[in-house]
Amino acid sequence: MAADPRKAGPAAPRARAARRAAWARASRPWLLLAPALAVLAVLLFWPLVRVLLLSFQDYGLRQINTGESNYTGLDNYREILGDSFLWTTVLPNTVGFAATCVTLTVVVGTLVALLLQRLGRAWRAICSTAIMMAWAMPAVTGTYVWIWVFDPLNGVVSGGLDGLGLIEPRETNWFTDRWSFYAIATLNVVHHGFPFVAITVYAALLTIPRELPEAATVDGANAWQRFWHLTVPTIRPVFMVVTILSIIWDFKVFAQIYLMPGGAGANPDVLNLGVWSYIESFSRNQYGLGSAIAVLLTLLLLAITVVYVRALSKESDEGDAP
Amino acid sequence: MRQSPRGRSPFSLLSRRRRLLAGAAALSLGLLTACGGDGDDGSDGGGPTLEVWIMEGTNPDAEPYVEALEAAFGEETGALLDVQFIQWADAHDRFTTAMAGGELPDVAEIGTTWAAEFGAAGALADLSGSIDEAGLGDDLVPGLIDAATVDGSVYGMPWYAGIRSLMYRADVFAEHDLQPPTTWDELREVALRLRDLEPDMIPFPVSGGSEYGLYPFIWGAGGEIAERDGDGWRSTINSPEAVEGIEFYTSLATEDGLSVAAAETWLETDQLESFQNGQAAMVVNGNWTVNTLIQADPAWAEQVGVVPLPGQESGFSPSFVGGSLLGEFTSDEPELAWRLIEMMTTGELAAQWADQSGYFPGQQSLLEEVQGEEEPLVAPFARQMLEAGAALPVTELYGQVQGEQIVQGMLQRILSGDQSPQEAADEAAAAMDETFGG
Repeated sequence: MAADPRKAGPAAPRARAARRAAWARASRPWLLLAPALAVLAVLLFWPLVRVLLLSFQDYGLRQINTGESNYTGLDNYREILGDSFLWTTVLPNTVGFAATCVTLTVVVGTLVALLLQRLGRAWRAICSTAIMMAWAMPAVTGTYVWIWVFDPLNGVVSGGLDGLGLIEPRETNWFTDRWSFYAIATLNVVHHGFPFVAITVYAALLTIPRELPEAATVDGANAWQRFWHLTVPTIRPVFMVVTILSIIWDFKVFAQIYLMPGGAGANPDVLNLGVWSYIESFSRNQYGLGSAIAVLLTLLLLAITVVYVRALSKESDEGDAP
Repeated sequence: MRQSPRGRSPFSLLSRRRRLLAGAAALSLGLLTACGGDGDDGSDGGGPTLEVWIMEGTNPDAEPYVEALEAAFGEETGALLDVQFIQWADAHDRFTTAMAGGELPDVAEIGTTWAAEFGAAGALADLSGSIDEAGLGDDLVPGLIDAATVDGSVYGMPWYAGIRSLMYRADVFAEHDLQPPTTWDELREVALRLRDLEPDMIPFPVSGGSEYGLYPFIWGAGGEIAERDGDGWRSTINSPEAVEGIEFYTSLATEDGLSVAAAETWLETDQLESFQNGQAAMVVNGNWTVNTLIQADPAWAEQVGVVPLPGQESGFSPSFVGGSLLGEFTSDEPELAWRLIEMMTTGELAAQWADQSGYFPGQQSLLEEVQGEEEPLVAPFARQMLEAGAALPVTELYGQVQGEQIVQGMLQRILSGDQSPQEAADEAAAAMDETFGG
């Protein structure tokens, strides 16, 4: 977008015009982005900064009411990191639960995608509609459905097991035990999360040229070899995206835990970072402490994502090498 | 911007940029103002407007009441009311966010346990002067006014009250010729008989998620949850008396099998549901639920019976007096605000609200009138309130204890068999003391 070269004029104004044009060129994208950035700054960046600032304060209702600040340095972080509750309960719950959910979500989603690829048109439509409904269900509704399914007294699961004579419903409660509590939560989260993986991976599978698997078959590769050495490397970027998104979603699971019986704090054994942060902030009015937990959760997520992305991109670089 | 992007003079480029800039600015501004677009809407009338928040659902049909209130208030003061209904479930968050944003109402209904909390934060005005001036001090339901009083300051005026007592299936009791219990032993015995006579029913669900079902047994055994200790508070939930009560209450489930495992995580609402669908035979639940039952099915009027919670040996076990206060959030019009509070909490309008909502008025004299009517499904609750009502520790720190669900956690650990009552109570006391001390 330099000035018209045919219009030869004095050197100085031309240079100025060129500079101006260059500046305009550089600034135009930003100008177009400005509205979106302004919205992001107001809705996302400013709250983030506020949470960070809050995490360095002892901030309670009094401070909320008066608007004064009360900086205490790293006290909140010291309190959290020095609390054995974090290391023995909250962190293992969060990390273990997320790892299980991400693995199961990606595996189940991929299997369903492979299934979709093999189905005929009609069955594929039926199948994808069914899984889309699981996806479309709001997390809160879904959680209540699972609670009802596993209701010890009147739920379908306990009814079925009772019919088989396996359990005594009056003496059963799956929500009090940490493991069974999280087993139900895992079912809920995986059921809600796998459709996204299935649809995305299915879309990626469609991009693999038909000749590749055919050639592999001719070369004598079996189904597993075709999947592992051909399909997976070809659509690796898609796996990367769905895994990272799943990690982010499953680490910050809140409603699915908070709404379960005992999940809102009555049973401290089942707290995860998200619920713990909420309870500290809104049930105990310790907004500073709650913010510090939220910041830690964010940092943890960032760290995991960075490590994961680096590992994967390195791997794919090596994979691409001849 | 239909111009071709090439071959224009720097001049037009400049104006283009300006246009873009202006456009961007306008867009962002528009978005910003769209977010913060709340002016004063009450500019039509002559007098000032008071903003009032009331909880949704207490009074199933609140519109006529609000109209009557607006008319009466307008007639007397010439001021307007802007009444908004908010949900109990997110009311606490609404108040804190309104506090942060400086958008608090002038007058609002608050839960009894919030008075200490918001009062300590400096958000509520002290009403003790106005109450004394009006000569109302001696005529307020004790449990409610106690909950609102912190160090001599009164952060809310009792509006309406509710209390939990023992509700039982009158039809089932009559069928087997059973009498409602009057002592703890009788409670256990009648429940044991029900277990044999009605094997499909749950004689007495012990709900792990409901702290208010437990408190009467702690108080009934002579225990306390916490007591004042100098300037602060100290938990006494692991004292011998309190533990005796906890032990009795939980043993009904753990030793006598009068409850079900599912109840370990039940909330009060789940317990009511089991009563409503015919499973539970006796429950500790509130006077407001009687209306809910009868509204759902008029046959309940014949099926439900109420007695005050039995005492350990005799008398009654105290029950928590819950309900609502009207607080003034440091309004610009304190006199008008008080006038409104007085109008809503005393006399005809107070009685009308209590009657419509199925709660009790917060004024002692009105409450005695209600008891005098000897309505079988109302009088036992009124008696419980007048003779055996109790308040929780009045400190904003107890609000935190409730937020942490320390008592529910203790109950669940005992009911699921993880800990003995003494161990669980010791742990709960330690957790409470940590909150009191911090």
